[in-house]
Amino acid sequence: MTEFGRASIHTATLAGTSTVPVEVQADVGLGLPCFHIVGMADAAVLEARQRVRSAIKAAGYRFPNASVVVNLAPAPLRKHGTGFDLPVATAILVATGQLSARALDGCALVGELSLSGRIEPVAGLLAHACAARDTGRTLVGPPDLMAYSGVLPDLTVRAASHISQIAHPTAEECDPHDLEPLGNTLQPDMAEVVGQAMAKRTLEVAAAGGHNLLMLGPPGSGKSMLARRLPGLLPPLGMEQRLQTALVHSVAGLGESAALQGVRPFREPHHTCTAAGMVGGGSPPRPGEASLAHNGVLFLDELTHFGPAVLQSLRQPLEDGFVTLVRAQGRVRYPSRFSLVAAANPCPCGYLGDGDRSCECAPASVIRYRDRIGGPLLDRIDMSIRVDRVDPSLLVTEQAEEASSKIASRVMAAHLRALERGGQNSELSGSDLLAVCGLNSRSQRTLVTLAKHTAASGRAITRVLRVARTIADLEGTDLVASEHLEEAFGYRVTDRGVLG
Amino acid sequence: MSERFEVSISDPEYPKALKDLHDAPERLYCIGDRTLLVPGLAVIGSRKATPYGLKCAQIFAGWAASKGIVIISGAAMGCDQAAHRAALEVEGPTIAVLGCGADVDYPKRAAGMLAQIRSVGLVLAEAPWGSEPQRFRFARRNRLIAALSYAVLVVEASLPSGTFGTAKAAEEISRVLLAVPGSIFAPECRGTNRLLSQSACPVSNVSELAGAIGVFELRNETLAPEPFLEDALARALIADPMRPDDVARALNMDIVDVSRQLGRLERDKRVARYPDGRYGPC
Repeated sequence: MTEFGRASIHTATLAGTSTVPVEVQADVGLGLPCFHIVGMADAAVLEARQRVRSAIKAAGYRFPNASVVVNLAPAPLRKHGTGFDLPVATAILVATGQLSARALDGCALVGELSLSGRIEPVAGLLAHACAARDTGRTLVGPPDLMAYSGVLPDLTVRAASHISQIAHPTAEECDPHDLEPLGNTLQPDMAEVVGQAMAKRTLEVAAAGGHNLLMLGPPGSGKSMLARRLPGLLPPLGMEQRLQTALVHSVAGLGESAALQGVRPFREPHHTCTAAGMVGGGSPPRPGEASLAHNGVLFLDELTHFGPAVLQSLRQPLEDGFVTLVRAQGRVRYPSRFSLVAAANPCPCGYLGDGDRSCECAPASVIRYRDRIGGPLLDRIDMSIRVDRVDPSLLVTEQAEEASSKIASRVMAAHLRALERGGQNSELSGSDLLAVCGLNSRSQRTLVTLAKHTAASGRAITRVLRVARTIADLEGTDLVASEHLEEAFGYRVTDRGVLG
Repeated sequence: MSERFEVSISDPEYPKALKDLHDAPERLYCIGDRTLLVPGLAVIGSRKATPYGLKCAQIFAGWAASKGIVIISGAAMGCDQAAHRAALEVEGPTIAVLGCGADVDYPKRAAGMLAQIRSVGLVLAEAPWGSEPQRFRFARRNRLIAALSYAVLVVEASLPSGTFGTAKAAEEISRVLLAVPGSIFAPECRGTNRLLSQSACPVSNVSELAGAIGVFELRNETLAPEPFLEDALARALIADPMRPDDVARALNMDIVDVSRQLGRLERDKRVARYPDGRYGPC
């Protein structure tokens, strides 16, 4: 004999990297047996009906032979994802009196169900955990939740691996997962790169000041190898930064444990990437590469092959540090503050200026190619260097190269100096920039002479000043001196992004 | 001025020098100053020029133009354009010989310069009005440049190079062939150095150019920069353009010191950064 009744369960649906609370209301009543879910549910939510029915039976409960209507409130909000399985099943069990409502007082539920009743993790689980922490609810869900107790100390969770355990107040005993900070230990080490002293120095300066970087060089010169080592030079992430990065990865359905342990992300989208893939998009919206690189490095290899619209779409994240996607269903915002490293060949064939192979490009095609390197991103790139293949004889000689950890400690010191002044050097411009540089008459003369001789534009001079400020920070001095400017001019970006 | 005119091989004003070619053009299509159709100095060089080549073109063409010598070149990117510009700068005479119609702007980026040459100099072509640039025309154009001049100065050429076509034509019709020597290590100078080892006469300063083309020059000007014997870095780079990494290794210096010294040398205009990241003479 089926018992009729009503119940409501708290859960949430994803919007960007946060969640919107949703109430799952179940009404089991007299009528022809049916199972409806209403409230702007997408296909994945509607499919919950089959999973819920099987899971309830597999756990030894009865599925009511009655009219079952589940409403997801607020009804006008679009809901998506499989995280509603557990709340819907639980609401039905409470409505039919098979579970006590009191056992779930002050709880929010989230989780996907397998046909056998097992509770599975869903994308954005970390966002649900953050929401539960902020509202003071106990989050009931898959055992993966236990991993968050380290990063969200105020969060109370009740992990259950099967729907039959939902009723028990201490659902499952399991140890909080180990979340030892790994930091930079997982990143590839700079000591593995032989030679390339100039490029290494450039990466050190770029890491210390948060400067975006453009590398030009023939194929096989080690541009990617160098770029992959930038995350390991950056200062360790704070707890809040880790959480923000992990949230994006969690929402995207990627593993968030590396980010939670302080490993800075390194994203390397292929040049066929679309604008939606780069800054996010789709329905439901998913974060793009620019957001997945939040607090890490976004590496664009073969910069000239990326579509102009894709590069254009990176302007907002580079300017503001976040991406706003406006769609018919509403707007979502994903954080995306990253270090940009772009790499390109110096000419269409790639061998212009290579010592061993001669370039076969027509001079006019080289100019056209280099104009493509310019474009919208160049405003946000402070440094540009040429990277060349290392002499093979250097590769076979045993030579001690500096380890990432040593470079990182210098970067850290410079980074702290910049933070004391109020922010990263790459954010400086105008009078603020001049104020923090504190040029004296000698360094002013140097700047003016260098600018004249190299026909540097106003923008180019601003970039040189920013970089010079970082070089002075690395040296631990308050004033930018001539020699800092002289070094910074070596990394300058011209209006086509090229050297010379 | 910008006068359009045609000169046929039977006209009295047809440059006699051109008849040295066994296949002299029947008709020349010109825009500009017809009085410039006299033998001049061809200043040519590679399109992918280094600051060194550009500067040589500028100095030698500028000097010769200031002496009233007609500077003849092909309006191509790099050294050719540098030579034309240097002549225009000193308001000296210059002829641009094109591989397309004389009224066609090619290379497109040189449109402004070509307009200026049409108004104060002369633009000349073998191809009829409105002809589009075509590959075979450029080889013929090079022969015209050689034939119109009594001396051909190659400022910078790599190997292989289109400049060699002009040099070869100059040899065939017994023009004086001159070349500016470069570093034996620099790929950009392999062509000019090869010409020197074969038959060309070296030109390393204005006096030598004056001597070679028979212009009397009183002042004994030298172009070589002052020797910086105190500065090992500058010395090394002027002898052989190098990348910062190679400099650091060759002189056993720290990379940070190297990049700062390079900045200082660049500020003092002793070296320049090349498009391929090397530093060398400017």
